[in-house]
Amino acid sequence: MQQYAILLGMVMATVGLVVSLGAVARAIGRAREEKAKDVPATSGELSPEPVWVRYHVRYYGYALLFLAFDMEMAFMYPWAVVFKELGLVALLDMGVFLMVLFLGLLYGWSQGALGRQ
Amino acid sequence: MKGSLSGAREGRPSALRRLVAKASADDLCAFVVPGPDVARARGIDLGAAGLGVAATPRHAGVILLLGELPAGLKKAAAVAYAQMPRPRAVLAVGAGDISPLPGPDVSVAATQADLAAGVDELRRLFAAGAFVEETTAFYADEIETETTYACPMHPGVTSGGPGSCPRCGMDLVPRESTGGSGHEGHHGAHDSHAGMGHGSVDEDAGGHGDHGDMGFMSMVEMTQGTPRSSDGLQMEWADAPFGPLFPGLPGGLAMSFTLDGDTVAVVKAMRGIDGWGPESLDDVTAREFPERLAFLSPLSPIAYRVLALRALGVAAGAETDEETLLGQVGALERERAASHLGWLSGFGRLLGYSWLGENAGRLQVALLRAADAGEVGRLEPEVGKFVRRVIRTPLLARRLEGIGTLPGDAEISGPVARASGLARDARAQGTGYRHLGFEPVVRDGGDAFARLRVRLAEIEQSLGLVRRAGVVSFTEVKPAANAGDVGVATVETPRGAATLRVTLREDAVEVLELRTPSSVHQGFVGAVAEQREVADALVGVASLDISPWEVTG
Amino acid sequence: MIFLVLAAGAYFVAVLERWATKGRFSLKGPVVSGLALLGRESLVPRKLDRIFFEAAPPLVLVSAVLAAAVLPLAPGLVVADLATGALFVNAALAYVMVALLMAGWGPDGAYAMVAGFRFLGQLVAYSMLIVMPITAVAMRAESLVTTVVVTSQATLWNAAYQPLGFVLYFLAAMAVAFLPPFDLPVAPGELAGGVEAEYTGWRLAAMRLGRATLVFTLALSVTVFYLGGWLGPVLPPWAWTVLKTLVVTAVMLWLGRYVPRLREADVLAWGWKYGIPLALLNIFYVGVVLLGAA
Repeated sequence: MQQYAILLGMVMATVGLVVSLGAVARAIGRAREEKAKDVPATSGELSPEPVWVRYHVRYYGYALLFLAFDMEMAFMYPWAVVFKELGLVALLDMGVFLMVLFLGLLYGWSQGALGRQ
Repeated sequence: MKGSLSGAREGRPSALRRLVAKASADDLCAFVVPGPDVARARGIDLGAAGLGVAATPRHAGVILLLGELPAGLKKAAAVAYAQMPRPRAVLAVGAGDISPLPGPDVSVAATQADLAAGVDELRRLFAAGAFVEETTAFYADEIETETTYACPMHPGVTSGGPGSCPRCGMDLVPRESTGGSGHEGHHGAHDSHAGMGHGSVDEDAGGHGDHGDMGFMSMVEMTQGTPRSSDGLQMEWADAPFGPLFPGLPGGLAMSFTLDGDTVAVVKAMRGIDGWGPESLDDVTAREFPERLAFLSPLSPIAYRVLALRALGVAAGAETDEETLLGQVGALERERAASHLGWLSGFGRLLGYSWLGENAGRLQVALLRAADAGEVGRLEPEVGKFVRRVIRTPLLARRLEGIGTLPGDAEISGPVARASGLARDARAQGTGYRHLGFEPVVRDGGDAFARLRVRLAEIEQSLGLVRRAGVVSFTEVKPAANAGDVGVATVETPRGAATLRVTLREDAVEVLELRTPSSVHQGFVGAVAEQREVADALVGVASLDISPWEVTG
Repeated sequence: MIFLVLAAGAYFVAVLERWATKGRFSLKGPVVSGLALLGRESLVPRKLDRIFFEAAPPLVLVSAVLAAAVLPLAPGLVVADLATGALFVNAALAYVMVALLMAGWGPDGAYAMVAGFRFLGQLVAYSMLIVMPITAVAMRAESLVTTVVVTSQATLWNAAYQPLGFVLYFLAAMAVAFLPPFDLPVAPGELAGGVEAEYTGWRLAAMRLGRATLVFTLALSVTVFYLGGWLGPVLPPWAWTVLKTLVVTAVMLWLGRYVPRLREADVLAWGWKYGIPLALLNIFYVGVVLLGAA
């Protein structure tokens, strides 16, 4: 627990560092407001169309498989730590688990999930 | 001599500010208008002069205006200048009048030595004058925006003021675009933006900020009217300009994509350089005509000068002698090799392949600076090694294959045609070329990779032709033609075959027809880019090697 | 003390990166650039998600610092020797994706948006390839504590023991730090700066500092997990760590210059079709070797 407190302290110190950078920059001067300066830079044309839209990602097939594998990895971490102790049994057990997931991956692959939709 | 920058920051010079000013003087980064490709084509090495090249005006401290710019590019430059953070400076290199931008901080001629001196002067200005007591805001009509109110779901429904959409009842959202004179509505819109729910950290993927306060709307309702994408989903599309000053495209080429996620759904028309149409060729005397045509296409001036000379020669009925012909061949081929190297450099930067971008640019500048055929010959082994190394790059074929394929055969010419298996080359009929043993380079595939291979092979072929020709320059003999004569000529420019038909009227040349390869190829941008990921679309467009200066109308 | 090391590390990364991109080795380059950046105005887009926009640069830095905090420089020199050190590294690095997505969404700019979501795709590709090799390393060390991971390599470095995992982890580390050829979010030629495009002034300096620290942290993690950390004959332990980290950084920065950028679709396809089977094979291989040696 004490270690996490140290880490939290580090996070605070880092954020403080960034804020102090901002303070130094502020001491140097503030930004002058001018026309067209705060429009997102789009290579020489001023047409700030809003882009906060429902973005159409094309990798959702991968993302779904990723969820499954991420859950698997959560199980594999403790397994990896006690693996050598438990010996062959551990290898076979996890092997079965991984094989099931791997077959899922192969199935997804065959159904076209692993591609740009 | 000026003491401070026109785009300086406000502040009394203090110790910290002086230190910072000195630091910014050492670290100059330039945003080049129209683009670094034009700089290289003129034999100017920006890195050697001490300037870094920025991809976006926001990361630049200097805006570099190169050569005489037409009105459309000056407007884009004004917009880019307005978006640069202070302290900022204007460096005019061989540019004439640069209004609407403020007067140049440093103005030099377009040679390497002058540029280096100009950069030193600029450094001095930054160190001394990055902070001044009083600054004036930059304003020009060109950077004015006007606000229209549009429905987020039906972009076609617009109005001048706030209200509701007659079709769906949603509140109209303010949208800004360029153009229009001062609009008071702009300030109103700015305030109303702050009122829209931004503070909430919305974990949901929905962009509620733009839909205003609508109460709950399901995702399906929000995207009801939008067309379906290729995988059957209905998502919202966004417009994005890949406008005149985009780092991955030739400087001056303006396109607008409607993006469906990261796929290009619709390609809006492409524009070349606004304000330099064929009307700038009106009322030019026969003496000045070749020069003028060369001036209008800075990326391949020699090809167009030769085109004009040959057309006028045909009009006069004069035969070009052997020596001039050989000189023209040498000059044309050197320019071709340099142009392809320049294209390679820009292409490398677009692909994120920095070794290619840097070395192709270096070789291009070295080639353009070679004084005679002997120096060009000395570059030949290095260029050959470079070409072989490029083709062996891992993953390059994978990156480029299948991108940019064109439908049918249409009227393409140049390397684009030769990469599709069509042996079209205007040089095959040229007498000068036949003596030197010329065969067009043809490859199969019709995609970006095939075009790359064609251009690489043509670089080597062109340097070989220069070596065999033995000269890289020719004397211009302006033939005397009479009024009413008509002349037509075709020259293989680095981008394709260009045809010019002229007639003479009272010592002024009248252009009957000027067909450039780029104006033909630009029609295929839609076919190349649509339904592709934006990076692939850009690669496809870049592989067509469209010169925005040649796009007429 | 750790901050000093990180600062020095990030500084050297900046120097190396400048050398790789500009071809000039200048020790005071980053200081000059940093000062120049601080002196420029920091512009804020007119329509923005303020929380996302402001939080993104510090978050990159924070995640890099957190990940570095659990990595040991020398036998006693680690900030927090957590019992789940190796897992914590992965957890901290996940925030890089959050930060870049925030930077992409925040400024309401077309290029930034596309760039941010491309990085998310890259994360879906590389994430498993970070985690699975770490698992194999933990198998050999029988623990997630990073100092134990280093001492477990006393006989043979993991790079030689599990070469497949080493290669996969190295490439995935480059992808996390969005170094070329995996620089989809900050493609200078393709998207005019992408995620970094709307940041200017001190915010850009914070972003670049965060990115340099991230590269250093990832190189440090490669050193700790695969190159034996502080193990080495003559020099003091911390010197070995620093030396190895710098070599790894240099290789990471140079590798990208000679290959074109990998497309998002390619990164995903190769990561999932080849990367994951190979990573699973790696785990299986390490398991068999460990049992055989036991």
